[in-house]
Amino acid sequence: MSEIILRAEKISFTYDQDLVQGPLTPVLKDISFTLKKGESLGVLGPNGGGKSTLMKIIAGLLKPSSGQIFFNEIPVQDYTNYPFNFFSYVPQNSELNTILPVKVEEFLDFSVSLYKIKNKNLIDDLLKMVGVFEKKSSLLSTLSGGEKQRVLIARAMINNPRLLLLDEPTKGLDSKGQDQLLSLIEMIKTKNQTAVMIVDHNINQIIKSCHNILCLNKQHHWHDHRDFLTKDILEDIYHCEFEHLLIHEKDLELNKDQHHHDGHQFCDHDHSEREINSTNHPFIRRKK
Amino acid sequence: MSPWIGDFFEYDFLMYALFGTLFLSITCGIISPLIIARKNAFMGAAISHSTLLGLAISLSLFHTVQALPIFISTLIITVFLTLFLAYSTFRQKIPSDSMIGIFYTATMALGIIIHTLFAKDKGDLLSFLFGNILLLTREDLYLSMFVLVVTALGILWPMKKWLFLTYDEEGAITSGIKASLFHYAFFILLSFLIVTSIKLAGTILVETLLLVPGFFALKFAKNSKQTFLYSIIFSTVFASLGIVLANAFGLPSGATLAVVLFAGLVVSLFLKKVYNLIRLR
Repeated sequence: MSEIILRAEKISFTYDQDLVQGPLTPVLKDISFTLKKGESLGVLGPNGGGKSTLMKIIAGLLKPSSGQIFFNEIPVQDYTNYPFNFFSYVPQNSELNTILPVKVEEFLDFSVSLYKIKNKNLIDDLLKMVGVFEKKSSLLSTLSGGEKQRVLIARAMINNPRLLLLDEPTKGLDSKGQDQLLSLIEMIKTKNQTAVMIVDHNINQIIKSCHNILCLNKQHHWHDHRDFLTKDILEDIYHCEFEHLLIHEKDLELNKDQHHHDGHQFCDHDHSEREINSTNHPFIRRKK
Repeated sequence: MSPWIGDFFEYDFLMYALFGTLFLSITCGIISPLIIARKNAFMGAAISHSTLLGLAISLSLFHTVQALPIFISTLIITVFLTLFLAYSTFRQKIPSDSMIGIFYTATMALGIIIHTLFAKDKGDLLSFLFGNILLLTREDLYLSMFVLVVTALGILWPMKKWLFLTYDEEGAITSGIKASLFHYAFFILLSFLIVTSIKLAGTILVETLLLVPGFFALKFAKNSKQTFLYSIIFSTVFASLGIVLANAFGLPSGATLAVVLFAGLVVSLFLKKVYNLIRLR
């Protein structure tokens, strides 16, 4: 059985009152999931559903209101400092502040210096791996969205992390660019046995490339192997109807009759009360 | 020797002013690109305006000639106010400019009231608003040298970390850089620099020294090293020219520095435009 790299247990999150208008409503409630070595977890859900918030909690940028996170089965509070060395977080490239003129190689060198890595060829090797070596001396601000994303992924691989956290890596890319980037992530995952958690809006691609899916819309979530994802689950999460969704080249409708076998992850807490109160979210299944 | 330059060798206070300007302009040149890139221009203005509260309290407590106690007292009060401001604006969702705007008008107003009530006979507040090189002493020169050394060590030594945080804050934090430590350190350095620059440039006009060099550098530089180098060179050349012109024409130092730096920027941008047009033909 492959080792569990990341485990989240009943993560809840509410923003401080002074940051939002109106009453306190949890952005996330009792979110649980696991991620194993060399596997990938795709996080799907509508805008404002808490996907990026969950990613930031895992990355240590936000503190959960309750719940626990385990890296390598060790709870984060047992580490002296947050275990930033264990993973790499790739933010959305739109969050980069490009006012300063910084070259691609300079940008990667920030991390190389930080980790005190002596390998002089590392930057070249990583840029070759992600396919933007020819942009080494270009200013990062002049790169296209896809190229910037590749540089961010190269930067993330500098410390050879065991877990890669990617927040909407295909944002702003055309369909070809999205395919190429997800192929690159797949290649990294296979080559280095890196566990990958990826938040994205490209439903088809995520279902195709990720072993496990976490569907998330604020307090409601579904987490299981992609083979058990159905069209109904997605429609409930997104609150809309989908016409054309494929998984492994077969219609998600066919998954309806699938039966679960033991060993798949469920939300292991009691949702009964919520299910009674919000009948429009019947997708949350109770642990038997 | 030209009387423009000769005066600086003849009068001690002018020599202090010249070297003080030199040290402070190098310091401003180092920190200026970071202020702009970190989008802290308004924060700089808030700190400089809030120094007035520190100054008013310090002038109420000490005699005008006690330069060092006034400096230390003003610095302590300004650092305290700055830390409050830094705490209120660190990774918050509410736009920080509204908080900064409320803060600096309130502290400045309080400063004016305290000065009027308790220190009206202890110095003209206008000198501190717009700068007056006649107030400069030998202690001020040492202080500006001290601020230069502290800033150079605090910014240039961990430069890659500053750049990483500025360019990709979340990436830097998740790489293990303590963003809050750098955030507070930056504003403490800034308040040190602003309090030291008050006599030379004044609380209002010191903002020119903090912004123009970085703005110039970001318009011309092709990489991060060039940015800081251009900023330091621009700041040093035009601030020194400003202080020489202020003496030659008997003008207020802060206002002259501000105008000379601004003129330097406008002329540089104009020449760049002309050069680009010629090159395109």
